[in-house]
Amino acid sequence: MRKWFQLAALIGILAPIELVSAHAVVTAYSLKSIPIHAHQADKVELTFNSKIELGLSQVYLVRKGDKHALLKVESGHKQGEVIVYIPALEPGEYAIKFKVFAADGHLTEDIIHFSVS
Amino acid sequence: MAGIADFLDSLVGGFDLICYSIVIGGLFWGLFVLRPWNDTTESSTVLSQKTVQLIYKGGFYLAGAQLFKIVLKVWLMTAILERWPFPEFAETTQFVVGITRFLLTLLLAGYCFQFLRNNANSKTNWLIALLVAFPMIISGAWLVHAAGRFDNQSLLMSLTVIHQLAAAAWVGGVLQLVNLWLLKKDKQVSSQLWPLMLSRFSVLGVSSVIVILLSGLPIALQYIDSWNGLIGTGYGNLLVVKLILMALALGFAILNKRAVTDYQANANDCALIKRVPHYVEAESLVLITLLFTAASLASQPPAIDIPTLTTSWEEVLNTFHPQIPQTTSPTHSALLAGEAGRVAIIDQVPSIAATEWSNYNHNIAGIFLTVMSFLAMLSYVRKLPITPPILNKYLVITNYWPLGFVCLGVFLFFRSDAETWPLGPIGFWESTFNNGEVLQHRIATFLVLFLGIFELSARLTQNPKSKLPYVFPILAAFGGLMLLTHSHVGFQAKSAFLIQVGHTTMGIFSLILACGRWLELKLDRPGKEFAGFVSVAALFQIGIILMFYREPLY
Repeated sequence: MRKWFQLAALIGILAPIELVSAHAVVTAYSLKSIPIHAHQADKVELTFNSKIELGLSQVYLVRKGDKHALLKVESGHKQGEVIVYIPALEPGEYAIKFKVFAADGHLTEDIIHFSVS
Repeated sequence: MAGIADFLDSLVGGFDLICYSIVIGGLFWGLFVLRPWNDTTESSTVLSQKTVQLIYKGGFYLAGAQLFKIVLKVWLMTAILERWPFPEFAETTQFVVGITRFLLTLLLAGYCFQFLRNNANSKTNWLIALLVAFPMIISGAWLVHAAGRFDNQSLLMSLTVIHQLAAAAWVGGVLQLVNLWLLKKDKQVSSQLWPLMLSRFSVLGVSSVIVILLSGLPIALQYIDSWNGLIGTGYGNLLVVKLILMALALGFAILNKRAVTDYQANANDCALIKRVPHYVEAESLVLITLLFTAASLASQPPAIDIPTLTTSWEEVLNTFHPQIPQTTSPTHSALLAGEAGRVAIIDQVPSIAATEWSNYNHNIAGIFLTVMSFLAMLSYVRKLPITPPILNKYLVITNYWPLGFVCLGVFLFFRSDAETWPLGPIGFWESTFNNGEVLQHRIATFLVLFLGIFELSARLTQNPKSKLPYVFPILAAFGGLMLLTHSHVGFQAKSAFLIQVGHTTMGIFSLILACGRWLELKLDRPGKEFAGFVSVAALFQIGIILMFYREPLY
C-alpha cells in the first residue's frame, strides 16, 4: 500500500507543469509607427515592461522559410528599451524573434511580425 | 531537455513556497500560538520539538529548492539560448540574491537544528530564530515579480514580501495543525492541546487573512487596471482563481472557528474531534494548491502591460457557451498536413484540422466524464432510504463508474499529441522529454488511468481499513493543480488565455472533487454523503466544460 501511495505522490509531484515563463512582454515597438524600408539598414526599438538582462538575451531576424539570423542589440536610453539593428532587407515578410531574460528571473520567448516594402 | 527544465522550474516555485510557509509559518506558530516557554509539560515539549523539527527540515528543503532553482535557470538558459550563460548570469540580481538567499536559509535551518532543537522551550531561542530569518525574508524581495518593475518598485517589493509573510503564517499554521492532530491521534500529546491551539490559531489566522488582503489589494491594483484586465488576462484569471481558493479555505476556517466557539460555550467537543481535523486537512489541500497557483501567477505578465491582448468578458463567457459536442475527428493525415503551416513563423497558416482534432479530444473526454459522473451521482441515489429495492438492484452497476477513467486514459494516450508516438513520427521518449506540453499530457494520461484503477479497487474492496480510497482524492487534487498551472505554447496571448480560462475553471472543480471525496471518506453521516455528492457533481461540471470546449483557431 505504501508503494502505491508513493507512486501516487510521485505522479502528483510530477503534475504541475508550466512552459516557458512569460513575464517580460513588449509594451511598445517602433515598427508600429516607423516601417522598415527595403535595402536600408535600420534599427527597431523594443520597449519591455521589465528590466532585461541583455547579456542573456537574444534577438533573431526570421526570414521566409523560417531562417534565423542573430541580430546585434544594445540598451536604449529609456527604461526597458532595447535597440535592435536590422540589416538591409529585400521586400517581403519577416519577423523578430526574441528570447529575453528579465530581471525577475523569467525567460520569455515571443515573435513580432513585420513587412518590408 | 528544455521541457523538463522548464517543468521543474515551475514545480520548484510551488515547492519553494510550501517550504517557506513551513519555516516562516512555523516560527509564527511557535511564537504566537505554541508559546512553549509558558507550558513546559511533557506533552507540550513533544509538540514544540516536533514543531522545530518541521521548521528546520522545511528550512533545509527550502535551501535545497533555492539552489535547485539556480541550477534550473542555468539549465534552462543553456537549452534556450543554446550557450553556457556564464559569466553574464553570475552578474545578475537573480544569481547574486539567489545564492545569498540560499546561504541565509541554510543559516536559519542550521540555527534551528543546532540551537532551537536542543532547547525548544526557550523564548530567546525562538526570538533569535526569527531574527536570523529576517534577512532571508527580506532577500526574497529581489526574487519576485516587482523586482523587474520600473514604477513603484520598492513599494511593490515590500508589499509582496508582507503578502508572502502573511500567507506563510496562515498556510504554515494550518500545516502545524495537521501535525498536531497526527500527534494527538498517536497519543503523543495531550488531547487538551487540540482545542487550545485551535483557539489560539484562530487569532493568528484571522490576522494573517487581513494582512493578505490589505497587502494584496494594492498589488492587484498596480498590476490590473481594469475589470477587463481581471476577467480577460491570464494574470487576472489566476488572481480570480486565488480569490476563489482563498474563499474555499476561509469556508473551512469558518467551520473550524464555529466548532471552537461551540466547544468554548458548551464544552461540546463532538465537532472539534470528528469534523474539524478533516476540515483542516481539506483546508491544507486548498492552501497548497493556492501556493502553486501563486507561483504560476508570478510568471504571467501583469494585465496592465498587455492592454491590446486583453480579452473581453463576452469572449470569456463564450468559451463556456453550450454547443453540440464535436463527435467526428479530422484524419490523422489531414492533421499532420496542416502542422508545417501552423508552426511556421513566416507565412503561418492556422490549421483547422489541429483545432478540430483538439475539440474532438476535449469533447469526447467531456462525454466520458459527464456519463461517468452521472452514474456516480446515481450511486448516491442508492443510498437514500426512499429508493425502492427494485431500483437499487439495477443501480448496482453505478458502482463501476470509475471504469470510465481507464477508458478515458486509453483514449487520451492515443489522441493527446497526434504528432508523437503512437500516431505520429516523433518517438515516445524524444517527445516526452523535449516538449513540456507533451510531458504534461503524458502525466495527465497516466494520472487518469491510475485514478480509474485505484478508485474502482477502492469502491469494490471489502476491507474497511483499506487506504486505497484515499488515492483518488490525492490524485484528483494533483490533477487540479496541474490544470491550474497548465499552459500551451504556440498560441497568441489571447488564444492562450481563452484556453487557460477553461483549464483553470476545471482545476477549481478538480480541487472541489478532491476535497469532497476526502471529506466523504473522513466524515460521519449526513455530512459524508453530502460531501461525496458535491464531489461527483464537481466531476460532472468538469465533464460539461469539456463537452462544450472550443479551441481558438491558431
